[in-house]
Amino acid sequence: MKHVVVVSDMKIGKNGDTLVTHALGSCLGLTVWDPVLQIGGLLHAMLPLSKINKEKAAANPYMFVDTGVPTLFRQLYELGAQKQRLVVKAAGCGNPLGKNEMFKIGERNHTLMKKLLWKNNVMLAAEDCGGTQSRTVYFDMGTGQVTISSGGKENAL
Amino acid sequence: MSRDRIADILASVESFPSMPGAAARLLTMLDNPEITAAEIEAVLRYDPGLTSGVLRLANSSYFGFAQRIGSLRQAIVMLGTKQLVQMVMATCMSTIMNQGVQGYDMGAGDLWRHSIAVSVASEGLVRALKLAPEEEIFTAALLHDVGKLVLGAFVQQGKADMAVDVATEQEFQEMEKQILGIDHAETGARILEAWSFPQRIIDAVRYHHRPDAVDPADTMIDLVHVANVLCRMIGVGIGNDGLQYAPAPGAIERLGLKTRHLEIVASETLKWIDELADKLTLGKEDG
Repeated sequence: MKHVVVVSDMKIGKNGDTLVTHALGSCLGLTVWDPVLQIGGLLHAMLPLSKINKEKAAANPYMFVDTGVPTLFRQLYELGAQKQRLVVKAAGCGNPLGKNEMFKIGERNHTLMKKLLWKNNVMLAAEDCGGTQSRTVYFDMGTGQVTISSGGKENAL
Repeated sequence: MSRDRIADILASVESFPSMPGAAARLLTMLDNPEITAAEIEAVLRYDPGLTSGVLRLANSSYFGFAQRIGSLRQAIVMLGTKQLVQMVMATCMSTIMNQGVQGYDMGAGDLWRHSIAVSVASEGLVRALKLAPEEEIFTAALLHDVGKLVLGAFVQQGKADMAVDVATEQEFQEMEKQILGIDHAETGARILEAWSFPQRIIDAVRYHHRPDAVDPADTMIDLVHVANVLCRMIGVGIGNDGLQYAPAPGAIERLGLKTRHLEIVASETLKWIDELADKLTLGKEDG
């Protein structure tokens, strides 16, 4: 079954499911897959740090990278996923043109995600991040295959 | 070739649907400071579909009225004439802007959701930056990309030429101008001119990617510009032009914009998009 993950949301799927998230701009799309259990989760987080709006973060941890990423991993661990088996991939984190640092929310999302994974000894298997293109992610639970669709082209990640 | 293309594009602007009658009549009344509730009521009374659409919108939790607004008379009293006219405009535009847009690869509803997002984010920026309320900003933001409805067909034709430039640092509207001779902002401004919109809203549409070219600068245009870039970043209803736009340095400085303003507005905008998209679509029962 196809499950669509909207902005500031996360969904978990099992073998037979495809998780999809559309129009990643600056947002982070993170896929985590356990090949033995054939389960995985797809996060679409909008902003880096939850401290900007603690009320929102309490209601929905998936809006922010610093709360969304750990929650995604925890949910998978609760279903029996094991850290050493997990295949983690990232997409999105784009930025508008120009040099203005203020608007580089995508870059900050990316940096924070890398830091969180590094601190927890989790490797990033592949990524398609940065640039100005909007991206759509398809994540197949049976094979763990992540496909990125952008600018009319599809590429396996 | 470019000259012929511009002529074709301007001909498409001319044949673009005209504004619904009631909205057009209200617009001509907007410039009149003496406009009365009875006059507005007289225009809307004969369009029950529009009236029920406006009441649906006025009762959205986005506007936060504690009391339910049940009648047109009550809406006029509670909203004031200016805000009521903004709501009539928004309700009228939903049918035109809810369609998909070729060329930009936007599906049905994408442009409308993006437009609503920019309206909400513009008003969010007004609050975050503690600026004086801008009465026309909701409409200006809602219409900023209306030109894409006309230009999309030409972007589709010019795609082979445009793809060459996709990887460059050139802004998308500059690419439109270079290849088609006119960009979606100018095209949108021409549509609103044909509809006899107030000049300030026309300017907001025309300059929404170039607020620094407005002299004297206009806070409302600065706000729509920033809200648009922000909503593209959060990926609401964006097409193949993605983030291929640059924030204008002058607008950022004039607004005193900081990272926290952008992030707080982004975090508050999402929840209103579905709510308003629902309230702003004329239902079947409304004809």
